[in-house]
Amino acid sequence: MTTLTDRYLAATLRSVPAGRREEIATELRASIADMIDGRTADGLDASAAEREVLNELGDPAQLAASYADRRLQLIGPAYYLVWQRLLIVLVSIIPAIVGLVVGVVQATTTDNAGGAIGAGISTAFNVAVQIAFWVTAVFAVLERLGTSLNLPRWSVDQLPESPAERDTTLVNVCASIVMLVLLIAVLPWQHFQTVVGDDVRLPIIDPALWRSWLPVLIAVLLATIGLEIAKYRAGRWTWRLVAVNLVLNLAFAVPMIWLLLTDRLFNPDFVAHFAWLRDGGVDTLTAVSALAITTTTIWDVLDSARKAHRAP
Amino acid sequence: MVSDDVLRTHLQELRRGTVVVASLVALRRPDYGYALLQRLTGHGFPVDANTLYPLLRRLEEQGLLTSEWNTEESRPRKFYRTSDTGEQVLSRLLDDLTAVRTSLTALIEGAPR
Repeated sequence: MTTLTDRYLAATLRSVPAGRREEIATELRASIADMIDGRTADGLDASAAEREVLNELGDPAQLAASYADRRLQLIGPAYYLVWQRLLIVLVSIIPAIVGLVVGVVQATTTDNAGGAIGAGISTAFNVAVQIAFWVTAVFAVLERLGTSLNLPRWSVDQLPESPAERDTTLVNVCASIVMLVLLIAVLPWQHFQTVVGDDVRLPIIDPALWRSWLPVLIAVLLATIGLEIAKYRAGRWTWRLVAVNLVLNLAFAVPMIWLLLTDRLFNPDFVAHFAWLRDGGVDTLTAVSALAITTTTIWDVLDSARKAHRAP
Repeated sequence: MVSDDVLRTHLQELRRGTVVVASLVALRRPDYGYALLQRLTGHGFPVDANTLYPLLRRLEEQGLLTSEWNTEESRPRKFYRTSDTGEQVLSRLLDDLTAVRTSLTALIEGAPR
């Protein structure tokens, strides 16, 4: 018959190196028996004493880890910061690039715009999950091997720029301006260059809008470029800039969402050309676009207000 | 007054290294795990069984303790004893403990209350 002690010993010894298992087993068994004797001498009955002793010794896996001097953590303090920084850098760059490339390739080789966006997003997500898994796995192995990374010691040279300047670095401003210029360039590009089949080109956005809303939207985007430059010159978000940002965001988002929801944004010929758009796909596209515009607008305004609030 | 948790953490930190010193002193007279546990507790060094047993093995692997099996009694017991290396390490540790005590006393006496 197996007693609780037998089961406890088996559970502990399972994860102790095989070479020392026998010796640890004999010693631990004697120690447990001594402890039980100590309790029964105080008047406790044998089975209650056994339970109390084993409860005191605690989780067998933890006891085994202390015998084997094994670390009970996936990634410890020696590697944590390096792991975290590397993961943030890789996950914030690579999935976006790969997703964009896959999306563009899909969009140019097939005539399914929605499918291309979906493929881009799912590829980016998969790449992010793979990166997170493999980076973590490598660091977990390093932790177990106790490998020294021989990284240079931290010094003051690695201090980030002071917080007041950090919100508007030249890199950030340039990236924002490039994005805005691309957004403006997409408007005429989609008018002339959207290939929907063999030598058939159709604008995605209703061409009628060139005589009404599109010039307004382009003016708003140009003004936003001006805002970025003003923000860089100010060195940080001021409340006046936040107000301008709010007005420009609304001047872009409100007409866009209104056009989307009243079915005036997309070119009817373009929608009619694709079966999946005709059969309700355009409604999904409208909903997703409206949601995306609303989210980015709210986030952008709140982010600018937060940075203005935090600035000294 | 600080919370009990904070106080307990600081006391644990303060006591952590003293278990090794106390074990090396106590094992000048050979003893087995449970008996050592009782002796240390009796002398004001309460220590958990699941801390002490693995610690004894680690000290043995580091060469600070030697061990010998005693099979004469009802159950086989492993007796540990402080080795020569252990004795050298112990004297360094005791010196350091005295130095800490001296520095602390000087600090207490020198500082205005």
